[in-house]
Parts: sequence; C-alpha cells; structure tokens
Amino acid sequence: MKDTLEQEFQRFRGQLRSYLLRMTASTEDTEDLLQDTYLRALEKIGTFKEESTLKTWVFAIASNLARDLLRSKKRWPENVTDICKEAALNNQAFFQEAMQIRHTSPQGEFEIREHIAFCFTCVSKSLPLEQHLVLLLKEVYDFKIKEIAQITAQTEAMIKYYLHTARSKMNEVFDHRCSLINQKGICHQCTELNGIFNPKQNAQEELAKIEMIKAAKRGEKTRLLDLRLEVLKGIDPFESGAAELQLHHLEHNRKVMEKYLEKE
Amino acid sequence: MRKFISFLTMMTTASLLAQNGKATTTKTTFSRETSVSIRIDADAAILWTLLTQASDYPRWNSTILSLEGEIAEGEKITLKSTLDSSRTFTLKVKELLPEERMVWGDGKGTRTYTLSPNADGSTTFHMHEKIGGLMFPLYAKYIPPFDENFEQFAADLKKEAELINRTK
Repeated sequence: MKDTLEQEFQRFRGQLRSYLLRMTASTEDTEDLLQDTYLRALEKIGTFKEESTLKTWVFAIASNLARDLLRSKKRWPENVTDICKEAALNNQAFFQEAMQIRHTSPQGEFEIREHIAFCFTCVSKSLPLEQHLVLLLKEVYDFKIKEIAQITAQTEAMIKYYLHTARSKMNEVFDHRCSLINQKGICHQCTELNGIFNPKQNAQEELAKIEMIKAAKRGEKTRLLDLRLEVLKGIDPFESGAAELQLHHLEHNRKVMEKYLEKE
Repeated sequence: MRKFISFLTMMTTASLLAQNGKATTTKTTFSRETSVSIRIDADAAILWTLLTQASDYPRWNSTILSLEGEIAEGEKITLKSTLDSSRTFTLKVKELLPEERMVWGDGKGTRTYTLSPNADGSTTFHMHEKIGGLMFPLYAKYIPPFDENFEQFAADLKKEAELINRTK
C-alpha cells in the first residue's frame, strides 16, 4: 500500500502543492504542509479503508493540517490588493527585485492571466476559512460535493451552503473591485503592472485573449466567476512561466498582510 | 364513503393551502398567534443550515437587519428586524432539534420553526409565533402585524434554499 501511496502522491503532488499555496499564500508553509501531509499519510496508510479515493483521503489530511495552521490566523480583508499596493509603492527594493526576476528568470514573465490567478489567491483569503477551502476544492480542483464532504467531515448540505455563500461573496467583491469585468471597478492593478513589466505590450490585445473579459463585455455576469476560476485551473503557480515573479509578489503581500493584521 | 372522500379532499386542500406561504393570524384577549407554511424544494439539512447561521441571515433574509450570537441551545441571540428597526430583541434559544425544530423566545413571545420532510424530497417549513400574557392587552396595539414579515421570511428562505439545493 505504501508503494501505491508513493505513486499516487507523485501523480497529484502538483495539484496538492498549488492547493496549499492558494490556501496559505505562503511558499514556506506550503512546502512544510506538503511534507507533513506525505509523512502523515505514510504513517496512517494502514487506516485507509478505501471509502474514498486515495487522492481524496490525502487531500483530507492536507486540508486538516492547513486548517490547523490557519485557524488561529486572521482572514485577509477584501481590499488586500489596495493595502499591498500602497506598501509596494513605498518599497523600492520590492520593484528592484521584481525587475531583476523579470529580466533574468526563466519564470519571470508578466502575464495578465497569471496576475488574475494571483489576485484571486489574495482576495479569496477574505472568505471564511471553510468557505475558502470548499470553493477551491470544488471549483479549482474538481472534487465532487460528496468528496468534499469526506475531505472536510461536513455534511453535503453544509458544503453546498459554503459553496453558494463563497461564490456570492466572490462575485460581489470582484464586481465591485475588478476593472477587468466592471468599468466602474476600483482596482486596475493587472493593467498597471502590465505597463511596468511589459511596457511594449499592448494590454488591450492581451486582455482581448481572456475569455472572462470577453464575457464581461457581452454582459454575461453570471459566468464571470466560473471563467475566473477557469483561469486558475489552467495555471500551476509553481511551474508557469510567470511563477517566480508572481511568487515573489505573493510573498511580499503575505508579509504586508501579516504586519497589517498584527496592528488590527 | 362519499362523505369520507369529500372530507379527505377538504383536508388535502387545507394542507396544500397551508403551504402556500400566506400568513395567518389569530387573536384572543391575551395573545396573538401568527403562522406561515411553505413547501421548499430543498433538503431539510439545507434549510437547517440557513436557519442556524446567525450572522448570515441579513445576506438572504430581507426581514432581518442583524442577528448576532450563536444559535445553540441555551444561548442568547440579539435580533434587529425590519418590523421595528429601532429595537434590538434579546432572545434565548430554548430548543434545538437538528433539522426538525427550533424555538426562540423572550418573556413576551415564542417563535417556533418546524421542518417536515415530504415524500418528494421537498421540505415543509413552518414558522409560528405566539405573543401574549396577562399584560398583553396593554401593549397589543403597539405591536405591528407580523403577516407580511412572515410571508417575506418564508419566501426568502425558499428562494435561497432552492438556489443552494441546485448546486451540483
């Protein structure tokens, strides 16, 4: 059984790693949790009764460890990107490091699509912990309601409730904030950063390639969150061409939020 | 036999009418009772979840401005309703039988929520409030009618629960 676990774990390791990053917004916590999950799974494999798939069982272990870590931490506010932008503008070193990554790293590209996923990782941390977890498991990692109920040890009714409330809140936040989908949206960071990191690129041409933005122009509001989540699904935050640049940015935001929430 | 069938038809009609989301009120000298029932296409577990998440009420229920505290047996909760937005009611959760029955109240009144599963997978939601006591005739005229508020509560619950129930 240990051999099966090892093989299976390697198969979904990338997904698990990106799930943990999107839960914690910390590369260090992600690596620790990933390792702890594997060790815990190895230790407990004798208790696996095949009532679910091995992947579901391992995600349950990882989710419990992530919950234990995050339960005592405050959730981030909806305007996290405003707070972090303000901090970045007062931090020259941040932009210097980012430019260095942009020009030297093979994973230093700046793509608006990647920034949309990055932004979701930050903003979704404003959801209550259980809603955040359920939303990611269902809409990004394609677990079924029944499997999420197994992972989280909650009823299917609770999962449906969390999913519904999480989606409502994310719809509301992005509709209010995101200028990509709402002309009156107050956040323009994707295009602003594109101007800094890709000065020669035409942002409008790049935006025109993103399905979510096309749907917003057609007024298909109900589909926008699904299309945003599709963007996330298509990106591995550790392996993409923009990974190093975005992870550097995420680390900056995490540190800013930790300081900000300490003062709250 | 014909009388029996006619009686059955009458009872069935009465029971269907009772689930139409229309509130009814009965009054006596010392009390007033308002009830509403509605059939909801959702599992009782979903209704129960909505009815027991205090801070989430204002999101889906247009009759409630705020509800603070934990909905657990013996706990106190504070409610602000559109019935009288200037007042905050402190209520005790007197009974809690998961997915079946919940009772809140204070010295003047008691509100009971009941969920009854139907054979077709739907659930009948029933809400009943009785206010009264020996002093009731003195303050009765200051208490607004509940009917419209009850009907809106039931309609909001139906809308939200059916939306959640459709989640795949």
